[in-house]
Amino acid sequence: MAITHIIFWFLTALALVSALMVLLSKNPVYSVLWLIAVFFAISGHYILLNAQFLAIVNMIVYAGAIMVLFLFVIMLMNLDKETEPQKDIWMKVAGVISGGCLLIQLVRLAKDAPEMVNKTALLKTGSIGLIENLGKVLFSDYVVPFEISSVLFLSAMVGAVVIGKK
Amino acid sequence: MNAIILSALCGVVMMFSGILLKNKSAIKYVAIAALLVLIIGNLFQFYGIYTIDIDSKGLLSFDRTGLFFNTIIFVATLAYFILSGSDIERAGPDVAEYFALIFFVLCGVTILTSFNGLLMFFIGIEILSIPLYILTGSDKKNLKSNEASLKYFLMGSFSTGILLMGITLIYGATGSFGLQSTTIKSAVTGFSSAGILAPVGLVLLFISMCFKVSAAPFHFWAPDVYDGAPSVFTSFMATIVKAAGFFAFIKLFAAKSEDFGPGPAWKLILFVIIVATLFIGNITAVFQQSVKRMLAYSSIAQAGFMLFALYSTNDFTKDGILLYTAAYSFATIGIFSILTKMEDYSLDGFNGLSKSQPVLAFTNTVFFLSLSGIPLTAGFFAKYYMLASAIKGGGSLSLVIIAVLFAAVSVYYYFKVIQAMYFKEGVAATNTPITGNFKVALIVLAAIIVILGIYPTALLGFYYF
Repeated sequence: MAITHIIFWFLTALALVSALMVLLSKNPVYSVLWLIAVFFAISGHYILLNAQFLAIVNMIVYAGAIMVLFLFVIMLMNLDKETEPQKDIWMKVAGVISGGCLLIQLVRLAKDAPEMVNKTALLKTGSIGLIENLGKVLFSDYVVPFEISSVLFLSAMVGAVVIGKK
Repeated sequence: MNAIILSALCGVVMMFSGILLKNKSAIKYVAIAALLVLIIGNLFQFYGIYTIDIDSKGLLSFDRTGLFFNTIIFVATLAYFILSGSDIERAGPDVAEYFALIFFVLCGVTILTSFNGLLMFFIGIEILSIPLYILTGSDKKNLKSNEASLKYFLMGSFSTGILLMGITLIYGATGSFGLQSTTIKSAVTGFSSAGILAPVGLVLLFISMCFKVSAAPFHFWAPDVYDGAPSVFTSFMATIVKAAGFFAFIKLFAAKSEDFGPGPAWKLILFVIIVATLFIGNITAVFQQSVKRMLAYSSIAQAGFMLFALYSTNDFTKDGILLYTAAYSFATIGIFSILTKMEDYSLDGFNGLSKSQPVLAFTNTVFFLSLSGIPLTAGFFAKYYMLASAIKGGGSLSLVIIAVLFAAVSVYYYFKVIQAMYFKEGVAATNTPITGNFKVALIVLAAIIVILGIYPTALLGFYYF
């Protein structure tokens, strides 16, 4: 087993365990901290796939900016045990059953998927994740969606002003 | 390309008009003028004159159906601006921004009619959705509006997450965002053609799109959001946006349908969803006392009919969805423009409208008749084309019979409003004086609906020639 394999399995286990802990921790602040661990593990995967730029952006944007935003929101919400809404037990059961059905289906399908059996990810090969290639693709093949997404941001910005203004 | 760029530019123009113009009704006229420019720009492209041509590297493709659909949507928006423009002015302080957001939604619509890949599809869906979250919550003092906005935003974000997961799986299976069937594509990437990831991705896409068009059992957000949002914006969401969502849904799955294989399972899923949507929409609408909430459920029921276009794809389907969009949008925009003028949204609020406002009562009747699919109105042929496509496509007859039965149920609750207007005593109060222009606009809209009902080829003639 090569060192990359060991790192790969370590990061995978870390990502899965952290993702589970996001759901299982009672305290929302812990959830957010576990979520940061998930993002770091996924960034590690990006590095293994030779996509350093994506890894860095993932860390800066998600683990940095968005998570700080999450923490602020949670702290401002002032969550207490008393103000916590009581969840209906039947809703929980229904959620577990329907979510579990989906999980079983997806796992069952993924196990037999011909696309994934005996295939490993291309570790340390491929160079599309490098900033130079990414930039070239973004400004040649995908320049139209890149420009059009500015409309999306503009509308979100207008919306923020409309909602935020007194 | 004309419509995409012009609609985004119109949105920017509207933003600046808010700074330059202090008079609110002037902003409305700027919006109408901008929309006319947009319609003309789109017609130019429809007749093959490309004023702005950009190489999108195969990510966008413009066909006549999409461009014609754009035209219907823009004309419906024009009717919406003319009829409900003064209500938008009263919806809140940021009038120019509301118009700007509506133009951004139109930009999303134009992308959804011309996407040629999942990437543009996703961007289109998002440009369509984000301004709506804000328009829903534009009545900031109203708690119900805030609740509706937050609910819509959270549910919409989840469905977007599911959509992205689906796109990711399809991309992983095929290595391309293209709309081509993955079974062909997979030969290139070396995967065996009986892949599993792409169908799973398509199912996730399907779930997410069912949410966006409020098909049961993903409809739970719709009544609350449509009820909580300011009535003017409900009108826009329930007609133009929903029709555009359907168009994208059908365009996507018509291209991808081969991936599901010939299996009957796919038809079965659609069968269940159509019946559930018709059932929940129609039966719940019967029990509503508020006309606004009744219209929210009726829009779910109409979504059930539009889903017929997914059930079978043939020539009838294309005509059907175009006609259905026009018939449904025009009628609902008319009803909502009258509803926003009413003091009381409950059924009793319409009592005796025929005495105090005979023109409003009469046109409202025409709109309701069209929604319920009575002959001589556009709604009849719209429903006829949908059902005909299902029969012609070899679909099951039982589905058509169920749909006709539920259409009969819908007549009941639509006629409750007509009954209240004509046969009950009362003083139906309006919250603003009804202007002569408004009445003329309503009569024109009702006339269009009747003309389309007698002579539906008037609309389709534009499409084919």
